[in-house]
Amino acid sequence: MTLSAPDIARLSAWLAETDLAELELRGPGCHLRLRLRQDAGHVTPIAEPVTLHSVTSPSVGVFLPAHPLHDTLLAPAGTLVEAGQPVALLRIGALLLPVTAPVPGIVAEILATSGATVGYGTPLVALHPVAE
Amino acid sequence: MIEILSDTALATVQDLGRTGALNWGVGTSGAMDPLALAAGNLLLGNPAGAAAIEIQVFPFLVRFTEPCAFALTGADCAARLDDRPLLPWWSGAATAGQTLRLGLPTGTTWRASRAYLCVAGGIDVPDVLGSRSTQLRGAFGGHEGRALRQGDHLRTGTAAARITGFGAMPPALALPLERGGLPAIRVLPSAEYARYTAASRAAFWAEPWRITPQSDRYGYRLAGPTLTPEAPIELRSHGIVPGVIQVPHGGQPIVQMRDAQPSGGYPKIGTIIEADLWRLGQAPIGSRFHFIETDWTSALAARDANEAWLAGLDRLAGLHRMRSAAR
Repeated sequence: MTLSAPDIARLSAWLAETDLAELELRGPGCHLRLRLRQDAGHVTPIAEPVTLHSVTSPSVGVFLPAHPLHDTLLAPAGTLVEAGQPVALLRIGALLLPVTAPVPGIVAEILATSGATVGYGTPLVALHPVAE
Repeated sequence: MIEILSDTALATVQDLGRTGALNWGVGTSGAMDPLALAAGNLLLGNPAGAAAIEIQVFPFLVRFTEPCAFALTGADCAARLDDRPLLPWWSGAATAGQTLRLGLPTGTTWRASRAYLCVAGGIDVPDVLGSRSTQLRGAFGGHEGRALRQGDHLRTGTAAARITGFGAMPPALALPLERGGLPAIRVLPSAEYARYTAASRAAFWAEPWRITPQSDRYGYRLAGPTLTPEAPIELRSHGIVPGVIQVPHGGQPIVQMRDAQPSGGYPKIGTIIEADLWRLGQAPIGSRFHFIETDWTSALAARDANEAWLAGLDRLAGLHRMRSAAR
């Protein structure tokens, strides 16, 4: 999904005509949030469209967003992670491999289902990159 | 070298045990959870039976005085390397001066009580009668034949760089065994089994057993239904092995564990199969479990399943290290 400046203007106009305060759009490679400013009654984009980074599977295996001994996710959406930090695990038989963040960022979304068998290169976690 | 920082009781150097010396009256010792010890070693590329530290009182702190690849298995102790949290059943690399801290075991999906710290090359203590395990009763083996103390320095086998940062699936989840929502442990009926009343034999399998606080590496005293023989049983002392379930006069059984002496005179109602001793070795004091009756063939199959699981881990960990090194 890509959004151009005219798209954002059109979305802003629609939003202004509704009684909604905020509009958030999320898709592969894009995240847009529009918020209605109470004072002026007009809409300003507060987030530029950004490219999300897909963390892909390093191997064939079973996707585990939580360690099997834990009931909390390694990196739920909103977690700030460093490059190289595990954001999920991949189980291959008796082995557990880390799925690591290639760049520093904020976890935007966990894309794969817990317990699903995934293939090499399957997008597992969407990461909103941040400057180091 | 690693330095013991905490003033923690009962942590010992253990390997897979001193087998083959029972005829000289030397008990086996060895890890209470041999699967965890072996898995930690295999993650590091060590032989499965390399010596490691068994930890059963927490918190436990060590400092690495030089760079060291290590693996933590067994109970999930919310470990931290300096400030960085570590996953359970995971390998890591410490730089010189870093401190590893193991907190109280937490148990979300598996309650366990003993953790293992394996290091690349193994803990370098002398081999005594074919093992590096601490023989507490005889005060030999391990580190000076005793439990570790604050200020002890332990040499590690080799400081060679290893690929770390990956882990193993805990066998409690990969090889689960339970009955009626409680952990289960398989038992072979032994010599005096048939001399107990039918009601006692039925209750032995049907009722849950609780691990009392009088339980340690020597043996576990269990609480449950009273086991009554048809007639009083008096025996001469005879050879026993870890896993033997004895019934003293009170009718509450004692399971001999890794530090058991090699002989005893109480009647034996059963023997926990070797493949399941780790399950009891990890069961916390106060927890309950069931005994499940098994036979010789199933006992061997269970041992084969454990070995197949370890062989699979060894193979996959080796492939992963090779692939990572090539990258």
